[in-house]
Amino acid sequence: MAGQSNPHLSIFSAPEVEFLAEDEVVEIVPNIKMDAVNMICGDFGPFFPQIATKVPLWLAVALKKRGKCSIRPPEWMFVERLTHVLEAERESPREFQPLPFHYVEMSKLLLDNAHEDIPDIYMVRSLIEDIRDVRFHKVETGLETISGRTHAVKLKNLSAMEVNIVRPFMVRALQAFYKHDSPEMIQQPESTVNRRAQVVDRGPRNIFVTVTGLNMILSVVAKSRDAFVVNNASFGAAAAAVSTTVMNCSL
Amino acid sequence: MNPIIKEDHLHLWLAKIKIICLKMFGRRASQLLRELASCEPGQLTAYNTDTFEQVIKECNEHNLQLQSLIRKIEDANLDIQTTRNEDHFGAVIHHLSLARNKRGLMSYMYNRAEIIQSLRWTIGPVLPLEIQEKLNYSEEEYYKNHSTAIEAYMSQLDLDLTVDMVPPKDPYIRVKVLDDIGEVCLGEHTISLTPQSLHFIKRVDAEPFILQGLMEEFLE
Amino acid sequence: MERGEAAKRRGGGGGGHGGKKRCRSSEEGVEEREGGAGDPALRGWPSSEGREQIQLLEETLDEFTENRSDDLVVSLYQMDLDRALFLLRSYLRIRLQKIENYMVHISKTNLWNRLSEQEQRFAKRCIEIMEKHLEQSVLSRLPYGYQSMLKQSISSEEDDMVPEPQLDTFVFCKTKSDVGAFQLDDTGEEIVDLVADDLYVLRYKSIRGLVDGGRIDLV
Repeated sequence: MAGQSNPHLSIFSAPEVEFLAEDEVVEIVPNIKMDAVNMICGDFGPFFPQIATKVPLWLAVALKKRGKCSIRPPEWMFVERLTHVLEAERESPREFQPLPFHYVEMSKLLLDNAHEDIPDIYMVRSLIEDIRDVRFHKVETGLETISGRTHAVKLKNLSAMEVNIVRPFMVRALQAFYKHDSPEMIQQPESTVNRRAQVVDRGPRNIFVTVTGLNMILSVVAKSRDAFVVNNASFGAAAAAVSTTVMNCSL
Repeated sequence: MNPIIKEDHLHLWLAKIKIICLKMFGRRASQLLRELASCEPGQLTAYNTDTFEQVIKECNEHNLQLQSLIRKIEDANLDIQTTRNEDHFGAVIHHLSLARNKRGLMSYMYNRAEIIQSLRWTIGPVLPLEIQEKLNYSEEEYYKNHSTAIEAYMSQLDLDLTVDMVPPKDPYIRVKVLDDIGEVCLGEHTISLTPQSLHFIKRVDAEPFILQGLMEEFLE
Repeated sequence: MERGEAAKRRGGGGGGHGGKKRCRSSEEGVEEREGGAGDPALRGWPSSEGREQIQLLEETLDEFTENRSDDLVVSLYQMDLDRALFLLRSYLRIRLQKIENYMVHISKTNLWNRLSEQEQRFAKRCIEIMEKHLEQSVLSRLPYGYQSMLKQSISSEEDDMVPEPQLDTFVFCKTKSDVGAFQLDDTGEEIVDLVADDLYVLRYKSIRGLVDGGRIDLV
């Protein structure tokens, strides 16, 4: 899972996010009769022709692929509703409209696999793309408002895929701001000095910040989690890290 | 202590010296780390024996200097805890440089070890030659031992954790035939794979054809 | 006999107790796994059911391949099992990776008690192996006084060379229910109102208690 794809950034890969979305429940209308299934992820059915029932998305898609059911698109996936959402997204530059946490993956799976079950499919597809674009743009501009001493960021209604995209940048930016704003940063010489060295270090503290500044490269290696290289954080390194992520983010 | 130099100035001066010395003394160790940092995440460079050995040598030289300065203080019958003469500050610089070099060496080995152990998950129990060549003897041994530890854990659980690295998909797949493949025996029945025909077959059966460009996954 | 029991749990549309129980522990798995990725620390071993669950999965697999009555049903169950196994494996792998990265730190703190018996054995071996490796390639070649794996030198008062997870970081989290006004820092200057089912990015250190208490989920 995330651990494999990128252990350092705790980021999910696209197939992993899709896997999680497949547990979302949707409504299907079976065209066969089938006993209930008692699965590890839950009990579903029994299934009767023309009688709607709820199953996880992966099961719905599997049945659909085998021609055993039609899928009822969720209520937010209709043109009228989506048009309304898109308008609202455009009108409020600082807010996100409520959509399912996995709206991106769910709509992709449904559009790919339940073609004939979705009314006005081309319109739906393009509306969802537009909504996605508007929201991603908002996410990007929203990041610019992060500043020093930010303790909390509220991301009301942000979806899974959007979280995944902003996560690396957001975490590193917040960390960098937090660190450089914290009193420890100014007060902290190398933590490892022995008794003799501490006597020397009684000199003006701020000088030792400069010492750490020279060793920017070390903190890049340390990725701020390796205690073998202690307290060599420097603004330059953090800034460099942040700007790389900005680039990745906007791609 | 020289009364002409005010204490504040002395500290400032010493700090500057310290910066210069540490920068100079730590240069080789930081070269090792720079090498690590310049690599793509998860990639290894060849083990840098030359620089590594030079840093080890530097450590031992610092130690010799450190010891001789301490001896000098002792020989002058000064209290080692309270003396603040040039020998003391010299000793401090050598001590700090040594510790710094040690951090560098340990970071180098430890970060490499982390990459090496991650290879067990991505590559498998036997490393290809081009990676083996980048390791030193101890690292090769580390890889083997670490692999054994993972295998021991998995056999206790009776569960292979090195498979199933990506989320599972439907074992069956809908495909569209692109080229005339002809009659093919899949499992118990034979099917005719004519161009443009659609089939619902096992993913494992379809994959070789997809790789050869003879079919594609069919999405509406 | 166990196989028969597994079959009983499967068979009959009623959805027996066994199914429910496994359903719950599988959900736990999802939670642990989802959180596991974003969680810088290590969480408790959820239950001893892990091993039992694997066995059940395998039995059921066998059972279905043996008397494959209906291809459709077999393939659906197969998918369900594949998903559960993937979850279980991912979860165990993430834990192993946390152990691999912070073994010494874990062994020194109460995180140790959060490991399963097998994980503890694994961690011990990892430490030995790492120690041997660093010993022969670096430490034994350094001057006396600088040869410890845990301390920079003899004059370090405490272990100052142990890699630790970066807990002073920010995490994405979702509130399960209203938490209300919550103090984020020690000085009490930063207070945030945590509303149910909202998404936040917060400092892990300040909300750790809420995570452990199950009032907030990491995503």
